Amino acid sequence: MKEIKLIYRYFSNSLQQAIFNIPIFSIFLVSKVIRVALFAVFIYFMLSGLSNIGGYSRDQMIIFYLIFNLIDTSAQLLFREVYRFRPLLISGGFDMVLVKPFNPLIRVMVGGPDFIDFAMLIILLSTISYYIVFVTKIEILSFIPFLLLIVNSLIIAAAFHIFVLAIGILTLSVDHLVMIYRDLTALARIPIDVYTQPVRSLLTFIIPIGIMFTFPAKALFGLLNWQLILTSFVFGLVSLFLSLKFWNYSLKYYQSASS
Amino acid sequence: MKKYLTVFQLSFQNEFTYRLNFILWRVRNILRILMVFFLWNSVFSGRETAFGYTRPEMMAYVFSVLFINTFVMSAPSNDNVGSQISNGDLSNFLVKPINYLHYWLTRDWASKLLNILFATGEIFTLYIIFRPEILFTNTTTFLFSGILVTIIAAFIYFYLTKIVISVAFWAPEQPWGLMFVFLVLYEILSGGIFPLDVLPLNIYSILKFTPFPYLVYFPIKLLVGNATYPEIVNIFIGSFSWLILSKWISIKLWKNGLKVYSASGN
Repeated sequence: MKEIKLIYRYFSNSLQQAIFNIPIFSIFLVSKVIRVALFAVFIYFMLSGLSNIGGYSRDQMIIFYLIFNLIDTSAQLLFREVYRFRPLLISGGFDMVLVKPFNPLIRVMVGGPDFIDFAMLIILLSTISYYIVFVTKIEILSFIPFLLLIVNSLIIAAAFHIFVLAIGILTLSVDHLVMIYRDLTALARIPIDVYTQPVRSLLTFIIPIGIMFTFPAKALFGLLNWQLILTSFVFGLVSLFLSLKFWNYSLKYYQSASS
Repeated sequence: MKKYLTVFQLSFQNEFTYRLNFILWRVRNILRILMVFFLWNSVFSGRETAFGYTRPEMMAYVFSVLFINTFVMSAPSNDNVGSQISNGDLSNFLVKPINYLHYWLTRDWASKLLNILFATGEIFTLYIIFRPEILFTNTTTFLFSGILVTIIAAFIYFYLTKIVISVAFWAPEQPWGLMFVFLVLYEILSGGIFPLDVLPLNIYSILKFTPFPYLVYFPIKLLVGNATYPEIVNIFIGSFSWLILSKWISIKLWKNGLKVYSASGN
């Protein structure tokens, strides 16, 4: 309960910060909308001239891309504070987090949600809903595995970020690792089925961006069998468990060097 | 000139100081190109041509993007100039007998040289791994035109980003807002993900009046040899026009910015 109150306080503070500077909020939001829209326009025009890519139609490719953005934006909204972890480490500010009577992981993971991404999320959800209702035909039952796999994707994203934080404690290097995570996930802007082997397997089971971004969309289209859905959940839970173990391990080696 | 040569040498050495950061930055560049490579690879499976490009031409385009993007975008000035204006560190340079913009232009070129050396190795490695059919121009006119337009593109990028960053003189608390907008537009509209003539003709025609195609798309178009001689002339006219215009605006803005610069935070 204490943790929920704490997270609520973090969200409330971030919202106040976002509202405080509306022009900057607007500039970044518009930029993000432009970025998503331009790539979607590219997919639209590219597939208008071709029948399909990798067996997927134009509308399917756009939904893959929108769902990628939905998951990516949700992860950024929740875990934005990870991007600010390095200054906290090298300034010694992390000491102040450790002495407080709550789990430090909450502070460094969800301590600064990004409300620009929240606004972006609303736009994305509206667009996806429009596409699903008016453009494509999707069975209602497909929504259950789809939503569960979205939650699973966020669990894997959390595990990724916890790994980055733990490596940050051990090496003080966070920024580039987070950006490499971002660049890796950007590979899933198109369905991983488009990649040839062995890259496809690598992106599914070693670096699980396929499970994170392509599987939910495939489940929505009814293209994912139950064995793969089950494998995804096992993967999500195992990765979260391992990341938490690694986090606890790294905390033992925290040197508080700058404080 | 000698002082800028010294800055160049020191900046080149400085790039080696943070080796892990540099290597991770290069890894990121390769990752960015992989999606584009596989996307077009998939488009050309079972097709000889698409959007007026053959597979070897498109693969040449994709590989060139890694090279041209590296050359044009390697610019540490973008990470430093805005913050130096905001926190007042600019004052340290203003009292020195050195032109601040030339100083950063020199540092950017040192970074470009190092990044190009690595990009060449990366392209070679990717070529060995994927063995794509690649078709570059075999005409010296296209080759030299492409190289010249690429060099101009690097200067246009420098001046455009300085125009955007100079907002820090008037809004020192947020030097990054407009830069983010610029980079978002650059990412797609420069042709770094797809050749711009994939787009409908009316959109493509409008884009030609912006500076973005002159940064990546047109240089590659020349290097690949996918242009006519009248187009080469038009590309040169456009490139030089944007170079002159962006340089003039950036210098004008810089002079006006210095008049309102208050060295706050210093």
